[in-house]
Amino acid sequence: MRKSMLAIIAISIAAVAAVLVVRGPSPEAGTASSHREAPLISEDPTADNTDLYAFRAPDAPNDLTIIGNWIPAEDPAAGPMYYRFSQSARYNIYIDRNGDARPDVTFRFRFRNRAGRFFLANTVQDYTVTRTIGRRSTVVARGVTPPNNIGPRTTPNYRSLAQAAVRPLAGGGKVFAGQREDAFFADIGAIFDLVAIRRGVGNAGGGKDFFAGYGVHAIALQIPISQLDDSDHVVGVWAATDRQRLTVRKVGKGKKRRTVVRNSWVQVSRLGNPLVNELIIPTNLKDKWNRSTPRQDSQFVRFHREPILAAVINQLYGLNVPEKNRDDLVSVLLTGVPSLNFTGRTLADMLRINLSIPPSGSPNRLGVFGGDTGGYPNGRRLTDDVIDIAERAVAGKLKGHPAGDLLGDGVNENDVPNLTSFPYENDPPSGFDNTKGQQKP
Amino acid sequence: MKQRALLAGAVAAIAATALLAGGVLRTTDGEASKIPTNQLVRVGFEEQAAARRTGEPSHYPRSERALRQALDQDSDDVRALIGLASLANTRHHFREGLAFARQAQRVSPDTALVYGVMGDALLELGRFDAGFRAYDRMAALRPSIAAYGRIAQAQSMLGQTSAARGSLSLALDAAVKGETRAWAFVELGRLERTKLRLGAAASRFRTALAASPDNPVALDALAETEAARGNLRRAIALQSRAVKLRFSPELAASLGDLHTVAGNRAAAQRAYAKVEDQERRLAANGVDTDLDRAMFNLEHGIDLEGSLVRARRGYAARPGTEANEVLSWALIRNGRCKEAIPYSNRALRFADGHRYFHRGMIERCLGREGAAQRLFRKALAFDPNFSPIWARFARAQLR
Repeated sequence: MRKSMLAIIAISIAAVAAVLVVRGPSPEAGTASSHREAPLISEDPTADNTDLYAFRAPDAPNDLTIIGNWIPAEDPAAGPMYYRFSQSARYNIYIDRNGDARPDVTFRFRFRNRAGRFFLANTVQDYTVTRTIGRRSTVVARGVTPPNNIGPRTTPNYRSLAQAAVRPLAGGGKVFAGQREDAFFADIGAIFDLVAIRRGVGNAGGGKDFFAGYGVHAIALQIPISQLDDSDHVVGVWAATDRQRLTVRKVGKGKKRRTVVRNSWVQVSRLGNPLVNELIIPTNLKDKWNRSTPRQDSQFVRFHREPILAAVINQLYGLNVPEKNRDDLVSVLLTGVPSLNFTGRTLADMLRINLSIPPSGSPNRLGVFGGDTGGYPNGRRLTDDVIDIAERAVAGKLKGHPAGDLLGDGVNENDVPNLTSFPYENDPPSGFDNTKGQQKP
Repeated sequence: MKQRALLAGAVAAIAATALLAGGVLRTTDGEASKIPTNQLVRVGFEEQAAARRTGEPSHYPRSERALRQALDQDSDDVRALIGLASLANTRHHFREGLAFARQAQRVSPDTALVYGVMGDALLELGRFDAGFRAYDRMAALRPSIAAYGRIAQAQSMLGQTSAARGSLSLALDAAVKGETRAWAFVELGRLERTKLRLGAAASRFRTALAASPDNPVALDALAETEAARGNLRRAIALQSRAVKLRFSPELAASLGDLHTVAGNRAAAQRAYAKVEDQERRLAANGVDTDLDRAMFNLEHGIDLEGSLVRARRGYAARPGTEANEVLSWALIRNGRCKEAIPYSNRALRFADGHRYFHRGMIERCLGREGAAQRLFRKALAFDPNFSPIWARFARAQLR
């Protein structure tokens, strides 16, 4: 009994540790300060997709709501706030309507900084949303992000600032882009210090939300379902970021010789199902996976079918979690689950949502595992506990393995309530209200 | 198979370490556990980050121990290989750096950073085209701040200043942390400095300091520019602060030179003593300091024969632009001017004031005073302050 409880704790932490590796406070700092040495670590927070959500909101049941988050662990008290979307990057939300893993509808966001002091960045950005259907591209919104939440003197009435930044989409729906509270929740701190492993961690709660008090940059869309739905009702969604490729060598001849290759884009980050980059894809292939499209995902199927995490768990703790032939995971992550959100034989990591399933009256954080088909892996809501779901899935929940009901990180919900209306993620914590290191008077 | 164990293995291992360290859990086979590879890699990189922040060289052996142990446990760990390549480069063992980078490439040909550390080594070994190709590959696999920074460095070497500025703007746009922004601003300022736009350069360096207060690299760059503008006292104050904040013989040598120019002999000697001391500590921590020590001694007229030996050794280890420059200068200072010509020619592929001046000294030594005069003028036109000590000398030679 004791041993199995410990194993559960260990596994919970293990899964969360994976998240830390990719999602902890960005190690970008400290890598670039050397005397002339080029930065060593290739972290790129402004291009980094952290979470993707797709759901039918109870207050807007006739729309598909999609929220993509970027820039992990924005510290509201980190001095001058440089957190902004990168104006040299392209931010994309892709929607596949027919299961071929090719985008049928694309929303592309480009941001532009406003003039300000060279170093004290003005965090308000103008942006353009271009929708592409087939070969036809239309600008469907031009918007402005609210400033980052500095504090009540600099950015008073933040809620109304954020509300004012919600814009309509031409042809129906709405859009928001800007800083938000990170709705993701998970216990990460515990791994650093054994003593801090919190009592009762597992499926009993009592963990600590590492992401409490941090912000992200979010893009939120609400699109009328009538524009997306078809006879099988299932759409696949993914988000991705592109950066410009440069080259040292000149191209072209004569006056056309140039060094910057514009209009040459490389996808540097993508996200469909949660935790795939962190838990499934091996380090050696992460750059390649992030550069690939879902259409090319069959090359990665073996990592889904034989998730190395399952093997390691068994090696270390002897839980007898199934290691091979994990077609259960392949179906959840790459094809959709039959009679729930199946999209066909094409293997593609997309967040699939069946648009005919109405929003749940009483949402369960474990989504489909909790008997609630309104949540993950049928789309993903802000409240879905994907750490616990992922742990249970790897442990064999769908194969009826007993460990599949026990695991969890003890953090069951976000530290602050989400909003009940668009854009759903709460206002970002302000630097002024930051509680880290609060001293008693 | 081994590669596949990377992430997940590391992941579960972190948890296991925590538990094992506390004596709570034993593995199923009862074996005492080794430190997880992932954790070793992390330590290896953190030690290097600390070294980059502070300059303190004792982080190097610590990083090496952690990364080598990681590699012992998993000979295919691409992160450990990249870490070891970067560490070898930092310690100026560029052949070793290249070897680790190639090993990393075999393990993981699609990882962008592999080509970053590979290009770093190739450029120092004088293999410029291969180095630039590596940087291009890096940027094609995954454009990032690290790739933009390297591309900018290459463009700046090639004299493509405006392209380099564009690349750095992309890096700056992608950066969110003050330190990273400071790095980009310093590099932008250096481009201005090369173009002799001293006011613009100083303004970039000050912006860097606003983004990352007391950043020693920015302090050093600003001090040099202030000195070039004739603000010697301000330069000394800035450089003293930089030297206090960061272990670096380069910074200490610059402080000594500023004091020399200002006529503060005692202060200059203190700074030069620090250079010696720090060079020794670098060498004790596995850094190949041959070229740097040779250059310092040649600049200051110390141990010219010994410097030639060091310069030859340094050239054998890494025959890049710097080695060509130092070896040609060592030969000149030892009166072997004809021998210096091929090295000087290669150094001048990437011309700067120093290198024109050295070429002028060769010409003078060979009795071609007219050519020498032209080259001194060229050096001073390239940068009237190419060296606090030798620019004055060059100016004094003009007729």
